[in-house]
Amino acid sequence: MRERITYVQKLGDSLEPSAITIDGGKISGPEVHAVREDRLTIALDELPSELRALLKDAQELHIRWVSTTPYEAISPLLARLPPGFHVFFTPRREEAVFTSLCATLAKIFGDLSCSTPAESFTSLPQDRFPHAPALQYFQQLDSLSHFIHYAQDQLCRATDAACLARLGSLSKASSLDIDYDTTSRVLRATATWPYQRQPVEATSRPQLRTEVGILSTDKPQTLEPHEIGISGLLTVLGQDANPSPTMFTFVSRHRDAESSFSARFLRPTGFHPTLQLRLTSPDPPPSASAAFSPDHCSLHAYLTLPRPIFADKYQLADPIFLASKNLSALRYTTQPVDLEAPAYVLPQWGSAVLLDLSPPRAAEKTETEDGRADWTAEIPLHLRYLPPAQGGYESVHVPYPAVFWACEPEQEDEEVQPPGPFERSKLGYDGLFAEGTVFWHVEPRSVEGNQRLVNDVGVPVLDLERAGWVNVGTAVAVAVGFAWVVWKLVGVWRGEAEKKGTQGEKKRQ
Amino acid sequence: MAKTPVPVERAETTLAPAPAPAPSIFTSFFCSPFPLYFSAALLRLGFLLYGLWQDANSPVKYTDIDYLVFTDAARFASQGQSPYERETYRYTPVLAWLLLPTALATGNSVLDAVLFSSGKVLFAAADLLAGWLLEGILARSMDAATARKFSTIWLLNPMVATISTRGSSEGLLGVLVMGLLSAVLARRTILAGLLLGFGVHFKIYPFIYAPAIVWWMDNERMGKPGARKRKVPTGTSRFAQLATFITPERWTLAAVSLMTFFSLNVSMFLLYGPPFFTHTFLHHVTRLDHRHNFSPYNTQLYLASAFPSLSSLHIESVAFIPQLGLSCVLIPLVLAKKDLPTAMLAQTFAFVTFNKVCTSQYFLWYMVLLPLYLPTSSFLRNKRLGVAALALWFAAQGLWLQQGYELEFLGKSSFLPGLWLASLAFFLVNCWILGVIIGDVGQRSKAAL
Repeated sequence: MRERITYVQKLGDSLEPSAITIDGGKISGPEVHAVREDRLTIALDELPSELRALLKDAQELHIRWVSTTPYEAISPLLARLPPGFHVFFTPRREEAVFTSLCATLAKIFGDLSCSTPAESFTSLPQDRFPHAPALQYFQQLDSLSHFIHYAQDQLCRATDAACLARLGSLSKASSLDIDYDTTSRVLRATATWPYQRQPVEATSRPQLRTEVGILSTDKPQTLEPHEIGISGLLTVLGQDANPSPTMFTFVSRHRDAESSFSARFLRPTGFHPTLQLRLTSPDPPPSASAAFSPDHCSLHAYLTLPRPIFADKYQLADPIFLASKNLSALRYTTQPVDLEAPAYVLPQWGSAVLLDLSPPRAAEKTETEDGRADWTAEIPLHLRYLPPAQGGYESVHVPYPAVFWACEPEQEDEEVQPPGPFERSKLGYDGLFAEGTVFWHVEPRSVEGNQRLVNDVGVPVLDLERAGWVNVGTAVAVAVGFAWVVWKLVGVWRGEAEKKGTQGEKKRQ
Repeated sequence: MAKTPVPVERAETTLAPAPAPAPSIFTSFFCSPFPLYFSAALLRLGFLLYGLWQDANSPVKYTDIDYLVFTDAARFASQGQSPYERETYRYTPVLAWLLLPTALATGNSVLDAVLFSSGKVLFAAADLLAGWLLEGILARSMDAATARKFSTIWLLNPMVATISTRGSSEGLLGVLVMGLLSAVLARRTILAGLLLGFGVHFKIYPFIYAPAIVWWMDNERMGKPGARKRKVPTGTSRFAQLATFITPERWTLAAVSLMTFFSLNVSMFLLYGPPFFTHTFLHHVTRLDHRHNFSPYNTQLYLASAFPSLSSLHIESVAFIPQLGLSCVLIPLVLAKKDLPTAMLAQTFAFVTFNKVCTSQYFLWYMVLLPLYLPTSSFLRNKRLGVAALALWFAAQGLWLQQGYELEFLGKSSFLPGLWLASLAFFLVNCWILGVIIGDVGQRSKAAL
């Protein structure tokens, strides 16, 4: 088991080595304004038995949890995902049945509406997206509290207050990644906390190698435009007496687009709600100028839509319709997506959708009151019927999409750089682009009156409080209608009989 | 259409309104076929061109989503794939084959647009053909000008023209049903059998016409000499009655229609396998029909589909009793021999009204038969009754549409009581109209005494 704790500050915010105190296995320093990332690496045989059994048959397993609370991210920890609970999974053998996956995940993360991967997960076509995991799952999960209890149970002794507190602080984390693949054969759990003021503080634990980095973004003169630089102090607790200065550069696939967006549903929503994305700027990332080529870069929205809501790929195939919404193409959608079924008969979690937005080519922009050039795009969606409920309305929680500029490598055979030390991959959308694509992330901001990166949409359902008369009323109406028609038919039939009777009488006369 | 030597179906020709004595533009319009069919074609061409313009310029499309389903399926078929590769294609492959020209690409954008619209042209042409057959049937009991006047209800109906030029295939059903009726009335039993078998393969519901036609085509009707004399006296054994019932014509109709139906199904199954069966037939039996529609059962079905274990009474398994009881047994038995076209109208009306799912496209199924009944209807004789029926039909539908709009677009939970009551009201209005139609047949046969 080993641990890496990193404080990442913005450009220019560096700490002098003298400000750091190292006392045996303990490091402390002044308050810094930084993002904190903790990464715990656990070997397969150190894992709880149920996890070990699960991973034995997995080719790769990636769990991504993202907080619904808006947070500021800084370079290089910029990768974004729709808030919620994501699982990306490739079984080792195709025929392997993972009936236990959902149960194990539920044991760790709490209430999941997943039954088995075969039923609840959706698959990504491996021939089209060779470096994407085979199966995907998503659901709304607002808090890590269940996970925290599980981890405290597994990792801490009941008396170890420091351990309990450390894991308890995950309740304030902005994201949690858990990764496993057969090549590394280790489980990596990475948590990050939002950019905020916090003291530098870490203590080593027995049987745990702890490395602490206090870093900040740097711009050395040799820096290439596609690279980013990091410098700062590294310390291995219990081993180094002094922090060692370090400086390195690497290619980061996740960059800052230096703009933000918000998402909300246009009113009224009805059964065909439109999700409006409002971007503070439709312009390409300003710092991307050197790396940016309009032919290889495009603006996207990646949505993970829970079961009750979906996008109609046929509606999103018409160029005029797309253009009227400031969209240009539906690049990917989970297949198949049933266009008619009510939510309560579908087993899959929902669907993932990748859209190409069509920002204006310079000029055509509208100025808002405060002079900013806001730009909007609308994503037409559709609701499924939900089960009848008391009150006549249900609420569906739709997470913010991830919005980003993607710049694909200009030459297809371009050598893919090794991932940087803070690289996040297997995010759902990265597998849908060529390897080596650089993502420039637009920061999600909540809208006024909604403190979360989730939009709720009300779905009208049959009101159970009023449903008492439905069975009887329908039966009575059908019976009355049927009886009236039959009565008219009897009238015609009796008229016929009378007619025959008269004819008979006539004959007899 | 030449008059056939068989006896005229309706003795009440005089009930049809006589043409106005003084010639006017109105009457001269109906003097020859050309003005009517030309304007009917022009109406459809206008709609078609307008649709092309709207599709090319507006994000809101004129073309029906179904047309895109058909043409996508035709594209799959043209590439040697199964039309069922297209999600929500729930029709016979014959429809995709009919639309194969829409899948052609020449590279010339104008020509391609014309080719893509060829299916709509086919549907519109089917409308005109259905109108022509309609006129032929009407002309059996009235003069040609009056017959044309009544076929206007179909030919110049903007709703009919819109539906076919938007690319909905219901117009094909219109021509199939009219063709079937014409063939039956002209005693062309084999043709009738072919059309019946194909019609059922195409859209299932025309099977309801089989009992009416079979009941209607007794020996007397089929113009067999001496049929009256061989009439079975009452009290003869049931076996003898049955033997008289099974006439060669009935045999022929049954054999030809069943052979057509099954050979089409077997061929399609061999070509496309289980998906053909699943999508063309099974889907219509197993579908949940939970989305709001005009059917009186809709709210109940939504409730039952969400809690399948809770509902004690499975309405979906008994709803077919009143529907098929009326449309396949009672109406054919009581009305078919008196007035076959009106019996078929009543059957269709009952089938649609009592169906578990009902959308406005289904109204077209009976609209094509309406002109055959109207000339002798009490709705036309008694103007106040006619206006009241029309007003009620539209009002109940309007009420439902308003509630549906609040639900679908404003997101207001109007399932209960609004939408439910509106669908029941619409259902009862339809039942009342159906009762009047049935009563009219009885009145007429009394009047004919």
